[in-house]
Order: sequence, then C-alpha cells, then structure tokens
Amino acid sequence: MDPLILSFAVVNGVLLGGIYGGVALGLSLIFGVLRVVNFAHGSFLMLSLYIAFWCWSLLGLDPYLSVIVTVPAMFALGYFVQSVIISPLIRRERALVVEPLSALLLTAGVFLVLDNLALMAFGPNVRAVQADYYLPSPMLGSIPLNPQRLIGALAAVLVALGLSWWLRRSHMGRAIRATAQNRDAAALSGINVPFVYAVTFGIGCAVLGLFGSLIAPFMPISPSIGVAFGIKSFIVVVLGGLGSIPGCIVGGMVIGVFEAVASQHITATSAAIGSLGLFILILLVRPQGIMGRA
Amino acid sequence: MAKPSRNRIALLASTMLFGGLAAGPVLAQGAVKIGCALPLSGGSATVGNQTRAGALAAAEQINAAGGIKALNGAKLEVVFGDTQSKADIGVTETERLVTRENVVALCGAFNSAVTFPATEVAERYKTPWIVVGAVKDEITERNYKYVFRINNKATYDAREQLDALDLLAKETGKKPKTVAMLYEGSDWGRSHASNVKRFAKERGYDIVLDEAAPPNQVDFSNQLLKIRGARPDAVIVALYTPDHLLFSRQLMEQRLDVPFGIHSVGGGTEDPAFYKGLPQRAVDYVFVQEDWQIDKLQQTDDKTIRAIADRTKEILGYGMSAYAAQGASAMYVLADALERSGSADREKLRDAIARSDILSGPALITGYGRIKFDEQGQNTYAHGVISQNLNGQRRTIWPTENRAPDTKPVWPVPAWSERKGS
Repeated sequence: MDPLILSFAVVNGVLLGGIYGGVALGLSLIFGVLRVVNFAHGSFLMLSLYIAFWCWSLLGLDPYLSVIVTVPAMFALGYFVQSVIISPLIRRERALVVEPLSALLLTAGVFLVLDNLALMAFGPNVRAVQADYYLPSPMLGSIPLNPQRLIGALAAVLVALGLSWWLRRSHMGRAIRATAQNRDAAALSGINVPFVYAVTFGIGCAVLGLFGSLIAPFMPISPSIGVAFGIKSFIVVVLGGLGSIPGCIVGGMVIGVFEAVASQHITATSAAIGSLGLFILILLVRPQGIMGRA
Repeated sequence: MAKPSRNRIALLASTMLFGGLAAGPVLAQGAVKIGCALPLSGGSATVGNQTRAGALAAAEQINAAGGIKALNGAKLEVVFGDTQSKADIGVTETERLVTRENVVALCGAFNSAVTFPATEVAERYKTPWIVVGAVKDEITERNYKYVFRINNKATYDAREQLDALDLLAKETGKKPKTVAMLYEGSDWGRSHASNVKRFAKERGYDIVLDEAAPPNQVDFSNQLLKIRGARPDAVIVALYTPDHLLFSRQLMEQRLDVPFGIHSVGGGTEDPAFYKGLPQRAVDYVFVQEDWQIDKLQQTDDKTIRAIADRTKEILGYGMSAYAAQGASAMYVLADALERSGSADREKLRDAIARSDILSGPALITGYGRIKFDEQGQNTYAHGVISQNLNGQRRTIWPTENRAPDTKPVWPVPAWSERKGS
C-alpha cells in the first residue's frame, strides 16, 4: 500500500493508542492492586468529561486548565467509592478469598447507577467543547499531527513514567506495591490496607480525571461515551499486562496501530474484530500480557 | 326474601369488574391511549426526545380542540416507552405497551434497527403501528396489514440525494464522477448504502469507497484517511448524531477537501443538538437530505403549525426539527383515523388508517402534499428535500418547486483554504 498512507495510519494509531493507554492506566492500577475489576471505569471517564465540559461552559475555563478541578474531584470520588461502597465487601470477604469477585458485580452496579444518573441529570443531548483558539498542527514529514491528540498521547507516556517512578520510589508507592503483592503480609507489616486501597482507587480515578480533561477538547460528550472507552480499557490492560503501568501504554499503542493499519484494508468493524483476535493470540502465547509479570 | 349469599355478591362484583376491563383500550374516563416507542436514551436520544415533544404538542392541541369528536370528545393519552436505541429493548417495550398499557395504536421508533423487529411484534398482536422516522425499505415490504409509514423509505432518500446531484450537475454543467460512502453499520446505514449503489450505477457515478462504520466510535482518523486515499468527488454520509459530530469535526480539523461536498442523508445533521456542538465552519456548504421541508416555517403562515413549533420549543428549549414534525404528523394521522373509525377498536382503527387520504391540515406539517398509504402501508406521497447550509442556514435546493427564489446553491464547494475564517 501507499507508504504515505501507511505511515499516516501508523501515526494515527500511535496517537490514539497512547490515549487508550492513558485512559486505561487507572484501571490497570486499580486491578493490579485491589484485584477489583472496575466496571465503572468508563463511567468515571464520562463524569470527568462532563466536569471538564461544565467548567468550560459555565466557568469559561479552558479544558486543559480544568485539570485543576477534575483531578481532585475524581480523586475524591474514587476515594469515596472505594471506602464507602467497595471496602465493606472486601472486608467481609477477606477471610474467604484474595480476589473479591463479587466486587465486580458491585462495580457493575456503580456503572449502571452512574450512567443513568448522568442521563437523568444531564439529558441525552450530545455536547461538545468548542475551543475558540486555534492550535497549529505540527508536521511529521508531510503528515499533520492533530495537536490535541498529540498532547493526550504525550501526557499518557509522561503520566505512565511518572506513576511508575512514584510507585517505585515514594513511601506510599512502596506501600501500594506491597499491598498488591500480599495483602495480609502488608497488613502484618503495619500498612493501613484500607487506606492504601482507598488512595489507590482515588489515584486511578484522578488519572481518569486528567485524561477526561485532555480528551474533552475533541470528544463529543454524552452519557454513553463511557462504554466505548471502558471496553477498550479492559482489552488494553489485559493485553499490556496486569499490574504493569508501562504495559498499559504499550498495549494501547499495539491496539491502536493494528486497528489503524488494518482499517485501511478492511472496514473499521472488521479491524476491531481483528484487534480482538490479536488480543486472543497474544494471550495464548503470553498469558501474562506483553509486559506483565508471570 | 332471603339475602343474596356472599358468593353471589362476589360473583356479581367480579362479573362487573371483568366487564369493565373487557371494554378494552377506552378507559372509563374516555381517554384513547396511544403508545410511542422512542429512543429516549442511548445514541439517538436527542432525536427520540424531539419526536416525543412533537407528539405531545400535537396531542395537547388535539385535546384542547375537543379531543376525538367521534368518540364523544375522548382525549388522546400518549404513553411513551424508551427503546434506549436498542432493538431488543424496543421489542420488549412494544410488548409492554400492547399487553400492559393496552394501547389502541403504536408509533415509533426512529431507529430502523429497532422499528423493524418491533413492528413485527405489533403485527403479531394485531395493533396498528405508524412508523415515525425509520426508513429501512423492508419495514413496508413485508405484506403486513398493521404497519403504516408516513415518511420516506430508504429508496426515496437515496434517490433524492442523487436527484439533487443530477439537478446541480444539469444547472451548472459540472458533474462529480466518483462518490465515497461512509455509513453506520446497522440497518439504516446499510439500507441507504445499497440503495445509493443501485441508483449510482444507473446514473453513471462510480462508488470508490464503501465503508461501514461501527456505532459509537471515538475516532474517525482511520476512515478519514481512507477517504483521503480514495480521492472522491463527493462523499455520502449516513451517521447518527454522536458519530456525525465527531466525523464532521475531524474532517474540518484535517482540512480534507471534497470538491463536490459532503452529502449527509440526515441522522446527525437533522438534529438541532448537532449544530450546537460544532462551529459554523464545520457545516458550511454541507448538503442534507431533510425529512421535512426545513425552511417551511419561513414559507408558511398556518397557525396550527406555528403553534406546534412554539410548544415544541417550550418543551425542548430549541426549535422544530424533522423529528418533532414527524411526531406531530403521526398524532394528527391517528386522530383523523379515529374520527373516521368512530371506535377505539384496533381492527376498525387499522381499517380507517388504511383508508387515509389527507390533503390538507396539520398532518402535512412535514411538507408533503398528501398522505395516502399503499397496500404495503407506505405513504407514496412522502418526499424529503435536499438542503445546503448557506450563510448559517439550511436552505432547500431540491426539488426546485420547494426552493425559495433567493436561494443560490454553491457548486462545487470551495476548498478549505478558500473559505473565510480558515
């Protein structure tokens, strides 16, 4: 195929894949540490998109600046959801299992409640942020790079690196990794496990808050926008490797590039089927994901 | 005389109760229940709510004018079911409206993918259904007795789009040769695409891209790249609001030049909420196949129609659209049929609807000249118009009879670098 079209497709795939990876970071963290499959992941993204939208439409705040509102707000929401809704379940099941599968149903319930509350409160209309300034597109050779998606993808890489570094170096980060390794041993070592869980959930949602603000400039917002991203995030997290933060970004880009290149030859629907097929193939060969630890 | 035993009293009471219930859909207070299955949530929610507003406005108007006179002033009571833009939910909602709410007739459901199975349920339950919005041809090609459609079939939509291309080519001598198609991958999009292919072959247009898009996408870069590679003269688009918004915006950001313009067959581009989410630049010169005469309000003085427009605006917060007009039209068609049937019995109502022949009045708010259903239940007098977005307004350019004298189509459309504000 035409090399220009191919390279354009790869570039599109990398940018979009980076964004998928960034959105999936929170899910990876939450699943890696709490072993809770957070079905409400997409709903939280939808909420942060709405917060960014309302900051723009009511306060006149540029979506990139609305980060100062969305990140703390989503952290607080995540902290609340974990400590009030999920933690009683984990505490009750602690004696029986390491991985609370029923928390999966609980988060599915949270997803239904949030999506429908949003529909009731905000209405079904699709909304869009319209920037009144114009960002020039940087050129990579003869390929224009969409500036807003570029910012999103770069942010994903930086946040992933920053998060990995923080998890390795800081005290809280070590506590989180210890709890992820073995909850009871961590408790025996004096780590306040419920607090660690709540902070982890909060950080996962705060990262979603950041990415909500970053994609708000180009994404139409409606109560159902969370579902599409939620599903992709699951695929990215498992493909990249559970518990691996950089793996998230890599997994996202693999999916993004594959779909972009494939959809130049077949329809986008078939390309999506293809990327899921690739996902199954990689898991058969390497079940822990691309960068996961066995 | 001995007092009647308790058993006898109970028997008498239950007979009266059953007798009352068996009176059917006409309630004791004299209301006629009409069920509307519409997408009030999900991807097509904005449209569903517009149709709902139009139906409510019309029903209120009919009731205020004295209700259904042939039924002693019985009021219309519209009951809504939310299909969530999904086929399976649409089917269960239809069953609920028919069996639990005991509606006299049904209307809906905009999404072709929902209307197609849901009307089958109505046919099984022998309940008349007035199709609103859905264009899939097969809906009125199944020899069904209870399904009636006031609006266009997909065949008409596709034919009108190509008629407009032919008309502009004839007027200016400039004809596009290659056409790309991007459409949503379910019943509506595919229906439209196969019709376009058929007409395009007859009229000498080359289809250079035939791309079905999955719903609720988060990015159109891949498809836009494909369109860029195919270099079409014109692009025909069939997408619902959220996808169309994203597509139009990305097309503008990427400054993709299509010399003979983007031709949207409706969906997103007929939804007022769509225009609020985009700068004017993104929609300039776009051609839209409208399901009603978009500049009708600028060309009519009819008080009933204006009243419906005002009331819809009150309910929604923004003005009339094709979908609100369709909702209102359906109510007026049903009211007209009820007047002629003089009964709320579903069979008699069905026969009355089949004999409809409306030549004037608010049922024609959509801009048609006449409403008359053929043996398959299709209103053969339905037609849309093709509009172009000129100076911030959508003006009818096809058919020429509906074109206002001061409207001048722009053909071919200017490149992005030549447009102001770029």
